[in-house]
Amino acid sequence: MPRYGIAIDTTRCVGCHACRVACQNQNGLEPSEAYNWIKELERGNFPSYSKRFVPVQCNHCENAPCQRVCPTGATYTTKEGVVLVNPKTCVGCKYCMEACPYKVRILEHKKGIVEKCRFCIEMVREGGIPACVATCPTGVRIFGDLDDPNSEISRFIAETGAQPLRADLNTRPKIFYKRS
Amino acid sequence: MPESAWGWLIVTYLFLAGAGAGAFLAAVACDLLAPDWSKALARAGSLASGPLVAVGTACLVLDLEAGLWEPWRQIYLVNNLESMISWGVIVLSLFIPVAFVYAAGLNEITFVGRYAKKYLKPLEIVGSGLAVATAVYTGVLIAVVNGVPFWNTPMMPVLFFASAMSTGLAVAMLGAAVIDINTIRTLSNFALGHVIFLAVEGFVLMLLVFMSLTRSVEAAISANMLISGMLSPYFWILVVVLGILVPFILSIVEYYEYGAMPKLLVVGADLLVLLGGMSLRALIVFSGSPPQVI
Repeated sequence: MPRYGIAIDTTRCVGCHACRVACQNQNGLEPSEAYNWIKELERGNFPSYSKRFVPVQCNHCENAPCQRVCPTGATYTTKEGVVLVNPKTCVGCKYCMEACPYKVRILEHKKGIVEKCRFCIEMVREGGIPACVATCPTGVRIFGDLDDPNSEISRFIAETGAQPLRADLNTRPKIFYKRS
Repeated sequence: MPESAWGWLIVTYLFLAGAGAGAFLAAVACDLLAPDWSKALARAGSLASGPLVAVGTACLVLDLEAGLWEPWRQIYLVNNLESMISWGVIVLSLFIPVAFVYAAGLNEITFVGRYAKKYLKPLEIVGSGLAVATAVYTGVLIAVVNGVPFWNTPMMPVLFFASAMSTGLAVAMLGAAVIDINTIRTLSNFALGHVIFLAVEGFVLMLLVFMSLTRSVEAAISANMLISGMLSPYFWILVVVLGILVPFILSIVEYYEYGAMPKLLVVGADLLVLLGGMSLRALIVFSGSPPQVI
């Protein structure tokens, strides 16, 4: 069974937000709702100034704080390591939103449940890739099996030394970032 | 101010559940340790306890989304015993009926009360355990969250427990004054409770703020928001001065003056403790800052 993850090369991100729009289309979200964001990191003062875009979404943590605190067990991890929310048992208590260190869960008021990035799991199971990965015009994202040492993502992580965000929080995220 | 997924409903719940649990413990302490001082205080504490926790729990349910529109979903709330909410649901479901039955028994209300009167001791023992669990749980609920570093410390349940005890005692003392205003003289004995719990609350709050300043970047952001940032006027005036210092001093005077203090000041000190308890919870919830991830 694969263990899916995404590697993100922040040095190639131009901040066009195509990933966000693709995700919104794929998941039928309102313009105000999103499962992924592009955060902007600014450093220094002109002329010694740099700006870096950092795409952020659910990290599908192996030690997921959201899953641990979910009282109804609505948050669960699939056999592919993808963290999902069961819309039938979520009560909308928002405890997971407080527990998530990455603050990537959102409340869908219409459905009354909390949702998040789903790695487009239905498409992936049919052999596709997530919408954000497929759409990115500059090839920032690489999707694949972290357990396969020959996969593109495993090679990328090994070659670039890409690291997850805040590994010190011990959540063991499955999104890896090449920062420079 | 960082955006919190939880708002005033949860703040109100944290306050009411703590005050209700504290009122129960105040009633039990009064009934067991000092039955001849003030029957009114034990009666008031027991009568207030169940309704306060029940209203608090109603706030918790109102804050749900799908669980409010489709209430049968709430049955799933005990599915995950790793979650503090599941434990909270169990503790509250046990404590609320015990608190109501105890109030009925102590005040001999209806046939339930006449029956429960025979079992007051066991109700006091079981109820006290559940009351402590309720008061501590409100702190543990937010302390186990590593998405908000400021809350993520074992000092949080201690702080919430001390605050629950002082707000519960304030509820019981106010209720005793409502039931029988002449009882206010005897309340001086209970002012010692305020002195102790407000001292503990103030000390733990000071520790929490000082240690948060160096614990992590995010905890320091929260602590700075309280002591010098945008929430500081509320923190210093509502929590520190009006919620802790003034009632602390008034309670010391009340204890030593034994019944000579004006009634208005006795009642005023208790109202200030309640104001401080509610403000404390609101400020702790609203100052929670997320980890800096990028």
